[in-house]
Amino acid sequence: MKIEDVVCPFCGCLCDDLVVEVEGTKVVNVENGCTLANEKFMGDHRLNAPIRRAGEGWEEVSYNEAIEETAAILLDADRPLLYGWSGTFGEAQSVGVHLAELLGAVIDNTSTVCHGPSIMAIQEVGHPGCTLGQVKNRADVVVYWAANPIEAHPRHMSRYTTFCDGFFVKSAFRERKVIVVDVRETDSSQVADEFVKVNPGGDYAVLSALRAIVRGKRDLIPLSVEGVSREQLFRVADLCMSAKFGAIFFGVGLTMAQGKYKNIRNAIELTEELNRHTKFTISPMRGHWNVYGSNEVFTWITGYPYAVDFARGIAFYNPGETTSVDVLRRGECDACLVVASDPGAHFPRACAEHLAHIPTVQIDPHVNATTHLSRIQIPVAVTGIDAEGTAYRMDGVPIRTRRLFFGNYPDDLEVLEKIYRIVREARG
Amino acid sequence: MRVILKTRPREKPRVPIEAEEIIPQNFLRKDDITVFLGNKERSLDDLFFVTIEGPAVSPDQVEVVLTGDTGVIKRVGEYMNAGRIIIEGDIGMHCGNFMSAGEIIIRGNADSWLGREMRGGRILCEGNAGHYCAAGYRGEKRGMRGGMVEVKGNAGDFAAEYLSGGEVVIHGNCGDLAGVEMRGGTLVIGGDCARPCGNMTGGTCMVFGKASQFLPTFRANGSQEVEYAGKRYRMNLFRGDVANRGKGTLMVRA
Repeated sequence: MKIEDVVCPFCGCLCDDLVVEVEGTKVVNVENGCTLANEKFMGDHRLNAPIRRAGEGWEEVSYNEAIEETAAILLDADRPLLYGWSGTFGEAQSVGVHLAELLGAVIDNTSTVCHGPSIMAIQEVGHPGCTLGQVKNRADVVVYWAANPIEAHPRHMSRYTTFCDGFFVKSAFRERKVIVVDVRETDSSQVADEFVKVNPGGDYAVLSALRAIVRGKRDLIPLSVEGVSREQLFRVADLCMSAKFGAIFFGVGLTMAQGKYKNIRNAIELTEELNRHTKFTISPMRGHWNVYGSNEVFTWITGYPYAVDFARGIAFYNPGETTSVDVLRRGECDACLVVASDPGAHFPRACAEHLAHIPTVQIDPHVNATTHLSRIQIPVAVTGIDAEGTAYRMDGVPIRTRRLFFGNYPDDLEVLEKIYRIVREARG
Repeated sequence: MRVILKTRPREKPRVPIEAEEIIPQNFLRKDDITVFLGNKERSLDDLFFVTIEGPAVSPDQVEVVLTGDTGVIKRVGEYMNAGRIIIEGDIGMHCGNFMSAGEIIIRGNADSWLGREMRGGRILCEGNAGHYCAAGYRGEKRGMRGGMVEVKGNAGDFAAEYLSGGEVVIHGNCGDLAGVEMRGGTLVIGGDCARPCGNMTGGTCMVFGKASQFLPTFRANGSQEVEYAGKRYRMNLFRGDVANRGKGTLMVRA
């Protein structure tokens, strides 16, 4: 059976034009998808049943047994951490936040290792952003700063920017100017009209210099700023100021580089400065599929987008203190529930070691690096394949994903609701 | 009055304790002081051996001494407005948050957010301070507004972020972006630092060591002599950050 207009469950682009062929409970073909999408739909490393560590190996247990033991671990903890959430849908994320409040836990999502600093910068100076549709139809200058969409978001350029004609940009490839700023040449820089190579850690200074140029302070700029010549800085500033509509997209290369959220703040303030001359917007290239959704859900329930600490019964937010990497690195938490992510593969070694040291439970369809650090793993349906729910695209547009077939697994929502009910009963 | 708080052994020593109630004025009028161990509220006696010596009639006469495993205790001295706290070892995050008067002396190291948004009083840290020393809370437009923070050792990144008033003296080195978004007050760095005063709009920062990765958006403005630690130094003067119409003063040793 062929299903059309399927939403991809991999990256923040949430491409919604895929055609997926299904036989029974298996995806056999994907059309329009990128390599990453194909692997997500066709990959087959799913766990068959809940497992629990038994001595040197594992034993299979029932869903009820795994869920009851998970609830008991969380109830016993003085500082539980609930981490992940970006690979699941909004309805499940919502139950996760309520569970955290009930437990007095720290709840954090994968923003902590990607665009958390972007949100911190937005909290300082706001967000002159727009939807990807606006960019597609209007932008004649596109800047990719510390992002490599050809490899990380393979269809971003073909659906929204370089290779995609828009209502006011009839021949995109000829009419759109593309600027790529990065510390090294990438596949994306190969298609750029202007490639700006910045010294590692030099983004903040280059952004400050561009702000000064746009403000008319050209006389102050030295011959070279962090490896970028003054002439190229002038050229880039002129290109941006002469645009009819410009769009900056920035990646984790900026958020996780030296200076972190101050880099993003500087980029936003450059965007604001450019808006004195023309129309310019700035948007993060969100990586994890529904990470934007987890920020939305966390914010509408707690007031904060990630790293929320309920230890005192009220929500407290302080990245650097309540972010999961910091909580784990300091060895604070004494139990961890990982949902729809793989910190074992992405967190620093000290964090992974602490996860292995404390009772860690993972709710995830696949065997991954975190499995090896966990005490229990509960397999669930994959959102967008055999589970449906709401996810947010990288520009904040909510999209309802579809269930392609009815499988044998419960979804995240079902498992989390059962844990929540046990905890609520125990806490009265 | 002298209050001595010695930590009791704990089953999970790395679970943080939140203890904003440990301020001198509370020991004068409260006998039900509680702290949080993770997500559980505990009485002070559950976590500390408490010894009280002598009387006091005002908070100014109260001295609180913390000893033992104090490195994970957060928020000590938050909203403190009188008296003195002496910490014999390290102290956790947010020590002296919002304090308006009194004195905190830390014999060891202080974790991040030491003296966050402080209004008055004095903090002396004899060891090193973590990140965001004398800075502001997330999204807050003003950091420390008054008083003095002195760190004998080094400080981490973003020291004195959003500094708006008062004086911060770091005798050692600072990490990245010290004095970033500064808009008032004085920041003195005795050692080295990187990218000082990005986006500053006001205030004065003096760097007596080396300022690496100096930002291109500061305008040279002559030089002058300044005294620090009993010696006079010739300092290069800069005005900025011009990326932000800044009118701050940055001085770096010539």
